[in-house]
Amino acid sequence: MADTRAKYRTEIQQMMFVSGETGDVSSETTTMIENIVQQQVWEMLRRATDLAARRGVRTISTDDLIFLIRHDKAKVSRLLTFLSWKDVRKSAKDSDEKGGGGGDAGGVDDFDLAANDPTLGTGPSVGTRNSKNKKAKVGLPWDVSSFYSEQVPEREDEEDEEAEEMNAATLQRLKQADERTKGMNAEEYLHFSECRQASFTFRKGKRFREWAGFGAVTDSKPNDDIVDILGFLTYEIVTLLTEEALEVKAAEDALKRESGGDEEKRGRKRRREPGLFDPPEEARTPVGPKHIQEAYRRLQKPDLKSRYMHHIPKGNWRRPLKLI
Amino acid sequence: MTSTPQRGLSNGYPSRPLPNGLHTPLSRRQASLTRNGAVIGGGLGAASAAGEDEEREEDATHALLGQRWADAEERIATLFDRDGRILKRRKKAASLTAINGPAVAAESAKTSAPPKKAARQVDDDYGDSDDEDEDSIAEKDTPLKAKGKAALANGLLPHAVQSPAPAVQLTAVRSNTTLSSGHAKSSEEVRKQLEEDKKAAADAAKRSFQTMFYTWENDRDAMLEQQKLDELDREVENETSAGNDGTGAGASSVANHGTLGSADLGASSLTLKHLIARIDAKRHLVQASDNQLRTLISEVRKGRSKWASEDRVGQEELYEAAEKVLMELKAQTEYAQPFLNRVIKRDAPDYFQIIKHPMDIGTMLKKLKTMAYKSKREFVDDLNLIWSNCLKYNSNPDHPFRKKALYMRKETDKLTQLIPEITVRDRAEVEAEERKMNMADADESDEEDDAPLASRGRKAPKKGVKGAPSSARKAPSVAVDETDSPAPPDVKPLMHASTSHLRNEFLRADSETQDASSAGFSTPPPGTATPLVNGVHGVGSQPDVMEVDGFGGQQSVLNAPQDDPDEDDTEFKTWKQVTKKDRAIAATERNRLFQGERGERLNIDEPALLRSKAAMRRWMRQQKMLQSQKGDAESDAHDDADAADSSALTGETLAEGIEKDEDSTLPDYYNPLSAIPNLQERWMWTTDSAGHAIQQSEKWLRMHPRERFVSSSSSGGTGGSILTRKMEANMRQMQETRKVCSKISLVKQMQLQGQTYQNQFQRYEPQPFVEQDIGTVVVSEEGPLIAPWLNRAALQRSVGKIFYHAGFEDFQPSALDAAVDLAGEYFGKLVEGFKVYREQPKRMVEGEKAVGKFSFEEQVLHTLQEGGLDLENLEGYVKDEVDRLGTKLGVVHERMKGHLADLLRPALGDHAGADGVGAFQDGSEQFVGGDFAEDLDEDFFGFRELGLAAEFGLENLSVPLHLLQNRMQSAFQAQHQGPTTSTGLIFPPPEPYEAISSENLGEMVGIAQDFFRARLRTAGVKGDEGVVRLVEDEELPLKQRFPKPRLPPTGKISSPRKRPIREQQQAAKKKRKLDVEGRAEVRLGGLGKPVGALKLKMPPENGVVEEPGKGETGTAAAMISPESIAGN
Repeated sequence: MADTRAKYRTEIQQMMFVSGETGDVSSETTTMIENIVQQQVWEMLRRATDLAARRGVRTISTDDLIFLIRHDKAKVSRLLTFLSWKDVRKSAKDSDEKGGGGGDAGGVDDFDLAANDPTLGTGPSVGTRNSKNKKAKVGLPWDVSSFYSEQVPEREDEEDEEAEEMNAATLQRLKQADERTKGMNAEEYLHFSECRQASFTFRKGKRFREWAGFGAVTDSKPNDDIVDILGFLTYEIVTLLTEEALEVKAAEDALKRESGGDEEKRGRKRRREPGLFDPPEEARTPVGPKHIQEAYRRLQKPDLKSRYMHHIPKGNWRRPLKLI
Repeated sequence: MTSTPQRGLSNGYPSRPLPNGLHTPLSRRQASLTRNGAVIGGGLGAASAAGEDEEREEDATHALLGQRWADAEERIATLFDRDGRILKRRKKAASLTAINGPAVAAESAKTSAPPKKAARQVDDDYGDSDDEDEDSIAEKDTPLKAKGKAALANGLLPHAVQSPAPAVQLTAVRSNTTLSSGHAKSSEEVRKQLEEDKKAAADAAKRSFQTMFYTWENDRDAMLEQQKLDELDREVENETSAGNDGTGAGASSVANHGTLGSADLGASSLTLKHLIARIDAKRHLVQASDNQLRTLISEVRKGRSKWASEDRVGQEELYEAAEKVLMELKAQTEYAQPFLNRVIKRDAPDYFQIIKHPMDIGTMLKKLKTMAYKSKREFVDDLNLIWSNCLKYNSNPDHPFRKKALYMRKETDKLTQLIPEITVRDRAEVEAEERKMNMADADESDEEDDAPLASRGRKAPKKGVKGAPSSARKAPSVAVDETDSPAPPDVKPLMHASTSHLRNEFLRADSETQDASSAGFSTPPPGTATPLVNGVHGVGSQPDVMEVDGFGGQQSVLNAPQDDPDEDDTEFKTWKQVTKKDRAIAATERNRLFQGERGERLNIDEPALLRSKAAMRRWMRQQKMLQSQKGDAESDAHDDADAADSSALTGETLAEGIEKDEDSTLPDYYNPLSAIPNLQERWMWTTDSAGHAIQQSEKWLRMHPRERFVSSSSSGGTGGSILTRKMEANMRQMQETRKVCSKISLVKQMQLQGQTYQNQFQRYEPQPFVEQDIGTVVVSEEGPLIAPWLNRAALQRSVGKIFYHAGFEDFQPSALDAAVDLAGEYFGKLVEGFKVYREQPKRMVEGEKAVGKFSFEEQVLHTLQEGGLDLENLEGYVKDEVDRLGTKLGVVHERMKGHLADLLRPALGDHAGADGVGAFQDGSEQFVGGDFAEDLDEDFFGFRELGLAAEFGLENLSVPLHLLQNRMQSAFQAQHQGPTTSTGLIFPPPEPYEAISSENLGEMVGIAQDFFRARLRTAGVKGDEGVVRLVEDEELPLKQRFPKPRLPPTGKISSPRKRPIREQQQAAKKKRKLDVEGRAEVRLGGLGKPVGALKLKMPPENGVVEEPGKGETGTAAAMISPESIAGN
């Protein structure tokens, strides 16, 4: 484990780039992010294992993982979308074997922007269009349909308005990406799209298992779904951290500008709002560890709901890690 | 009460005699006399002057008291009940002027009060300073002044004074009746006045109690002290009771008769004074001897004191005074406490080495009770012994007891002056003396006629000795006459007379005139004769008293009220003094209610403290008083209201005289029992005339309003919260959907299983949610019903509903319990937080209304925030978990219904029409191509295996469910008359054929009639009116039905139809029987039919036995019977 810190440096850098950080991020920062992500993954696995154990099962299921993030409905929605597309991909792969190669890593983003899973570059393969496969909805144990003993086939016409609502955040993110890529030339765009495919797990199964402590944190051999979900979630974490850190940095820069004069005119961090006299991207300082730290602190701030009954004395009580 | 006379007297009888302090009264008097400019020329003038002087002396202390009162008065700004006092003072002023009148030649001056008052005030001041001056220069001047005074006094004063001398306590039966009566009055007056003093002090204190708040800290001490006092009393009582009896008996037995003096009648002779005076006046007419008269009177008179004794002259007066003094000292609980009981060796091991003659108040009381004191001197000696013992033993100047002892000695000095100079003597002795005197003085005392009886008393000797008493004795009466206001003005001069007499005693003592008269005056034992001598001796025996405190003591007599040895402020001290006893009682009462070492438990056996009517009245009175005071202060405009108040007040106090009104000095807040307004009527304990308790509660009982324990909308009303309605709608929706679900699962089950049973599927019959209200509950209180288990159950129900609403069809009780506990705790915290925010101290806004710190909205929001909630959360819950869930549920329900319909008739969609005809309109491919098997998803026909599916492009080859109609119709449809299954029927089913019965047998086709008849006979079922009915196979219970004939795949019918076992058995039995019959028939065949007919008549009755066999024999028999019947 000597080179733990180096394990996902590239991936994290790519993810950060997609999330808006354009500069060259120092390895210190990426290491910090990596540690944070790792901690989160461990925690998630531990809790999921606990949940599974409570059910009397040793292997964790996707539901266990989803349950952990159930309060972030947008995220759950994105995850479900991701999972359903994954199903689609799988069945497509089954139906026509030829679709292999790029099937999984197709990287074809032009398929359907709305239906595309924007978070990972792993869009659905081409074959899905002509196949009769439809996007299977992933059911959750706390969905209404699971209230009843009988499972009912989905109907086409009933589109869940809830899901659409949940997609708002996703769309927002897509829009951002779209804005960013607008001014890109082909090369840049290629780089961007490559970066979008960065993943902790994709084709790095073994590395990820080691890194995430499978066997140590949870003693089960997780199935691919778990790993994929974790890949998705880690991506989310990095994105969130980066965005928050950028905000922190913007605030800091603004403060500096106000107090320290105008020589630092780099309040604009977003490319989509380019100013005439913006310094080139390379000139901007990347987010540093302190920004990440602050962002992490902000994200760890307990929300109101978790203060439930906090006025009951509980002795020496440590607030549990908050999953972000 | 006892303290009052002492104080008053101490003025007139100033300062404990010192060897060199003797001159003080004298000089003071001199000064005052000269100041007044009174010419002391004759007895008359002397008397009046003396009276005036006395008046002033008295006024000096009045001034002191008055100043204090004035202070209090100003503070409280009220006249509060002082009218009487003021009046009195005015009167005194008037009398003063009246007396002064002749001397100052201002005859007319007895009118207006205010100027007089002022004048008196001046006098007072002057007197004070005078006192001090005199005191300061006293020592030097003494001899001279004394001499001069003596010279002056010798002329007249002795005479003027001598007669009233024994005065105060002895109450004066004198030769001069007016004088005696006046005298009595004067002492009475003094006492009354001093009582008033005390009362006024108490009143002032009481008023201050209303403005000050006193706590209970000192109550415990007070209680303990009081307990000690009580103990002491009891002890003394116990120890002396036996002895008393003895002495009492002895005393009465030795009854020795002398003169009919008032002396031995004691103070109470006051009441009889007129009688005595009368008897004295008409002595010669009375036949009885003195002795007889005296016994008579002593028997008649009331309230004779316990000290009274016939044979011990002077005892009553002495002891009464002594007892008073002792009690008074004892009552100084702050100081007297260490001296109450004798010192125990355990407490102070070396005490008895230092103190040879221990003494304490308790012992003195005992001695008193056993009549151990012979004279005032002995008594006073004992008292002083106590203090000196203390001072001696506690030699450390800082010792707290020293302070107390010094204080007590001061008090003693003041008080002992009250005790008359009496030496108890045996009556025999007195009378002997008396007789001797009488003989000696018989000729020269003409005045004896005036007061023969009185003169024969203890005082008689004095008269005999006195040189020229007549003029002096008359003088006061003349003075009285002059003032021509009979009673009240009398007081002063007479007072004066008595006191001045005492002074004269000093004077004489000082000047060592000690003539026979003085000796006679102070009667037998010369040592105790005069107070002067007494004082000198008494004090002299304890030298340190003198040295330490002599002078100060003198001053403290006057200054006592201000001169507090204690460090407490005056008010607090007054409080402590005045209320000590009451507080002690109150504390004792409270204390009694508790038990355990530290009073930590309630003593349940102890009767409760009850409010008394008197106390309540007192409270009301005080409230009224305070109100009216306030009213006065505010304005006089409320006169009417005040009048009303006062009238109400008088009305209220009607009952007061009847009951014993224990007037407590404690303020209201000290006795919460009586200070609280009345209980509400419903809580009162009342009894009817028979003494039975009335159940008050019955009157107030009411039904607890219904539906407090159900959520408001569940009772069917449209009211209630929208949320509740929505949630219940959701739950109903779920139930409906579950019903559909159960049907679906049933259908699916039937698809899988070859055979289904009727009881295999439980019908899903959801019960509607009904919230049960509580039964009838009768309550007598306002407010919510507090019954924890009930409330918990209600909460449990709510939680259960929420569970159901969240999708749990059922749940473990433990889970429910846990959730209920959590919810309960959470709500408790919420409410607590709510309370905290609500009970923040109010603040005043510019308006006159006090406003809470938080508005209601703020309270709610803060509370929610504390509880980890906010409005968004709540709204989100309602929106997502209730509203959206509702729509989702609706969607799912529709889907389920559609699914069920598809299952039952996959081809019949909405377009299929009511009878399913429409299903064929789209070309009926399903029926042609077998596409309808798709839903079952199984290769029922084996087409797929055969490759047909690929060939014809069929995707679904399963058997359509509705082709399995048979099973479904028979089992499922029979019990579930669902709308989906019955929609196909547009034609009414034809009427079922009438069952074949014995009635309609004749209508049948002729050929079949016989068959039917046979069937009827064998398998017919007896109907209602004896009609035999044939049961169709379809109507038979399932198990008894004949299995339908089935053609095996081979196409060969191998075996005849199987019969049910029972049938077979019966058939077999019948067969055997028929064989026998058949044979018989065959045998009898040629003989004729009647036999057979006879035999065959039976079957209809035995028809049940005969089974409709299908065998040949059966048919043969059947064939036979109709014929035989027909043949008949």
